[in-house]
Amino acid sequence: MILLQVNSAAHQFPLVLYFGTIGMLVLTIGLIVFIIFHQRKVIRYQMQLQHMEQEQQKMLLNASIRLQEEERQRIAADLHDDAGPLLATARLYLNENLVNLDKTTQLQSIYNAKQIIDDTIQLIRNISHSLMPPTLKNFGLESAVNDLFQKISGSGSMNASCRFHDYRERLHPDQELIIFRVIQELVNNILKHSNASFIHLTQNLSGNKLYIRLHHDGRGITQADFDKLNKSNVGLGLKNIQSRLKLLHGRIYFEKDISQTYYKVTIEIPRTEEEQIVQPIS
Amino acid sequence: MLRLLSIYSGILPIASFFLFLSRNKKNGLWVILFYVAASFLTDFCFELFNPPNNLSFFIFSLFTILEYSFFSVFIYINFKKKIFKQIILITSFFFFAFCAISYFSAKGNFFDSLPASIESIFIIIFCIIYYYEQLNDPEVSFIYSSKKFWIVTAFLIYLSGTLFLFIYTFGLSKKEQSFYWPINMVFNTIKNLIITLAFSLPISDHQPFIKEDIFGKPPLPHYKP
Repeated sequence: MILLQVNSAAHQFPLVLYFGTIGMLVLTIGLIVFIIFHQRKVIRYQMQLQHMEQEQQKMLLNASIRLQEEERQRIAADLHDDAGPLLATARLYLNENLVNLDKTTQLQSIYNAKQIIDDTIQLIRNISHSLMPPTLKNFGLESAVNDLFQKISGSGSMNASCRFHDYRERLHPDQELIIFRVIQELVNNILKHSNASFIHLTQNLSGNKLYIRLHHDGRGITQADFDKLNKSNVGLGLKNIQSRLKLLHGRIYFEKDISQTYYKVTIEIPRTEEEQIVQPIS
Repeated sequence: MLRLLSIYSGILPIASFFLFLSRNKKNGLWVILFYVAASFLTDFCFELFNPPNNLSFFIFSLFTILEYSFFSVFIYINFKKKIFKQIILITSFFFFAFCAISYFSAKGNFFDSLPASIESIFIIIFCIIYYYEQLNDPEVSFIYSSKKFWIVTAFLIYLSGTLFLFIYTFGLSKKEQSFYWPINMVFNTIKNLIITLAFSLPISDHQPFIKEDIFGKPPLPHYKP
């Protein structure tokens, strides 16, 4: 009907009105179509990101579980290989006491059994200390790290030193344990892979953030390497560091020094009074 | 035929609103119901009584103000950002002032071409702002599954389709205007159909699959829900 009307009075019908209306309609429909497609694209992108994040979380969780299992296996091996034979030997000595009635032999076997039990106690203490260092529990992160570095230096294989510039207020024990484990893991990596001759740790406080920096002169990794290892199936220890720091909402940064001689690792941890902490792994 | 289709298509959204009443209780959809009812009554009165020029002009002017007000209220309710709400308030002040001046200065016109054109431009701008806000809102999952989106789209299509018509009819006689009026009828019908669709859509608000509180507080130290 409109077309009929338009045709009958075509000479009067203004082109501006005709094209203007069609133009506006095309623009409007174009806008709506663009919005719908753009939104679908954004949603698809967000879903991809979410999926990638889930994958990353899954890998971190797997790494934590694997590490926990490895730790259990190590403890089981320590108990089975060291404590087990020691206790069995002590039992043998005590058994001999029942069989042999000679007093001197009896005294000798009791003495031997006591020595073995002392060794076993020491062994179990060592295992217990490796699980939760008593220095860390009683005297805090600074003392525990000092202790760790003194032991490394004492071994003579590496010159290790550390300095805490501003650690007057202790962190929450759970936070301290997580940070200590991260430092332990980093130091272990340096000892195992870097072939470094010295290692130095510095602690500082800036604003509401705690910073810990490790310097060493061996072979190291940069942030790009770290990200790559984190996404791959290898680098279990690094994934564990990442998952531990995530609990503290902390960050880690691997880089090479400006002098290109040293590698440094910087850890940043926000200091909050009532931090929400999940129970640490291992 | 086209005139009748345009007028009586106004019944569809009203029927759809009441048919799916439980789906249409939120987001200020009742404002749109009032608007559709006002639009239908205006068209129906014109068809029935064919009022003289001065009364036509008054009814059209009143309808322009009502149309702008209803849509502004609807979009004001649905805007999330304060700045956009403020834009509506400021724009409305100028628009109403302009309508008043235009009404008293107009002489012997049949249709309020200028206020209707300005109204169209403002509403088109509001629609674009609405789309912008929705695109930047991370909570919006699928924009086209929302009733609000289709209502805004209905207004945008109707007003962008009739904008040139409203501008062009300025100073034309009633007879000349009626020659071009089918454009308005077509877009009015499209608008009513889209609003009907909007009213019949199911509620798109995101409902979480599992209520988090059924798990209770986890036994973790320092845990804060």
